[in-house]
Formats: sequence, C-alpha cells, structure tokens
Amino acid sequence: MTELLSMALAAVIINNVVLSQFLGICPFLGVSKNSKSAIGMGVAVIFVIFGASLITYALYHLVLVPFKIEYMQLISFILVIATFVQFTEMFIKKYSASLYKSLGIYLPLITTNCVVLFVAQDNITQGYDLIETIVNSISVPLGFMLVLYLFSCLRERLDSADTLPSWKGNPVALVVAALMALAFSGFAGIV
Amino acid sequence: MDTVFSIYGIVCAVILFAVMAGIYCSAYYFNHKTPKPKGCENLKANCDGCKVTSCMNNPIHDYNKGDNKND
Repeated sequence: MTELLSMALAAVIINNVVLSQFLGICPFLGVSKNSKSAIGMGVAVIFVIFGASLITYALYHLVLVPFKIEYMQLISFILVIATFVQFTEMFIKKYSASLYKSLGIYLPLITTNCVVLFVAQDNITQGYDLIETIVNSISVPLGFMLVLYLFSCLRERLDSADTLPSWKGNPVALVVAALMALAFSGFAGIV
Repeated sequence: MDTVFSIYGIVCAVILFAVMAGIYCSAYYFNHKTPKPKGCENLKANCDGCKVTSCMNNPIHDYNKGDNKND
C-alpha cells in the first residue's frame, strides 16, 4: 500500500508529466487560458488515459504477448487510443449533452496528446501489474490536471497584471512555466 | 526456428492491424453520424492556436472561412 501511495505521489508531483518530462505541452499552453476549461480538459484526459491504459494493458498481455507480436505495441496502442476517444465522444454526444458542452471540443485534442501514449507505453515498459497500472493511469493525469489548473490560475492573474507589452501573453506564460518547472524540481527526493 | 518475424507472427500482426483499423474506421464513421446535442452545434475552444494546423480548434480555419466570405 505504501509503495502504491509513493508511486502515485511520485507520478503527480515528482515525475510530473508536464514539468519534469515535458510531455503534453500543447494542451498545457493551449487550454490554460481560464481555469474552467483547464478543469474540463483535465477531467477528459483522466478519463481517456484511465480507459485507454486498461485496454492497452489487456491488449498487450492477452494478444500481443501470446502471439509474440510485441513489436506491434506502438501502432496498436495508437489505434486503441484513437478508437477509445471516438467511442467516448460518441457516448457523451448521445447520453450527456451537458458533459459534451463542457468536454466536447477537447475530446478530439486528446488523441494527439502524447501523455496518453506515454502512460500506455510506460505501464508496459515498467512491468507494472494491474493494480500498479490502475494507480499509474490515475495519478499521471491527475498530475497533468493539477499543473494545468495551477498554470491557468496564474495566467488569469497575469492577464490583469502590469507586464511589459512585448511580454504579454505567451512570452510571460512561458517564463512562468519555466519557474513552475524549477519549483516542481524541488520535490525531487521526497519519496 | 522461432524468430521474432515468423510467418505466423506476421499474419497475426496483419490480422490485428486490420481488425483494429476496421474498428477505428467504424467508430469514426458512427461518431460522425451521431448528431450533436442541441445547443452544441458550434462549440468553440478558447484557443489562440498553436502550430498544429490540422486541429479544427485552430483559429486558422475560421480565418480561412472569413477570407472565402470576403471573396
């Protein structure tokens, strides 16, 4: 249990997927204008990563390994993620209009989010069992959501801050992102 | 000889790829056929755009539509 907790903490804070591994930078910069859309994107990413990781885990251990076609891992995982996003979008369209209103525009973007593929691949390369896969598949996107939300709150305040005209918008946002990465590197070694 | 690229493995890989691509294509088709809920027909992302111009949330697509209207 302690191992799982430390693994989750490490995934959320220490090895944060955005600020330590520099993955998922596109949505990190693109969907962090306001905190509401940041939370929407974060929830959608958690759902897709969790679902896609479970499917890819099952696919790897029940199909790729028994048939000795592990070299199909990358291409099959990409197809699983793309298919899962399509099914998720279709389901939300049909059964929850309110959820589609808040998440609909972000769902197709998740297909191109490399964090989803990273988590699916990481679960296999690290040799995680099912429980560890579940913990990793929840904690990594939680870290993504945490950083996205914090960054969106900072950007909201930066909009009303008195910055130089040439620094307004993306330049100052990138400096803030770098400072956040430095701050998060301070967590290294706590677990 | 049990090589990684045995004929049996290649056939399995091709079948797996065909099945998965088929599932993806049908999911894409049915997703496109599913009507959007009322009030969600013209949802727009709060996005200034990045270098991914194939993304439909990129404002470059709106700009192109505006250009066509002016013509």
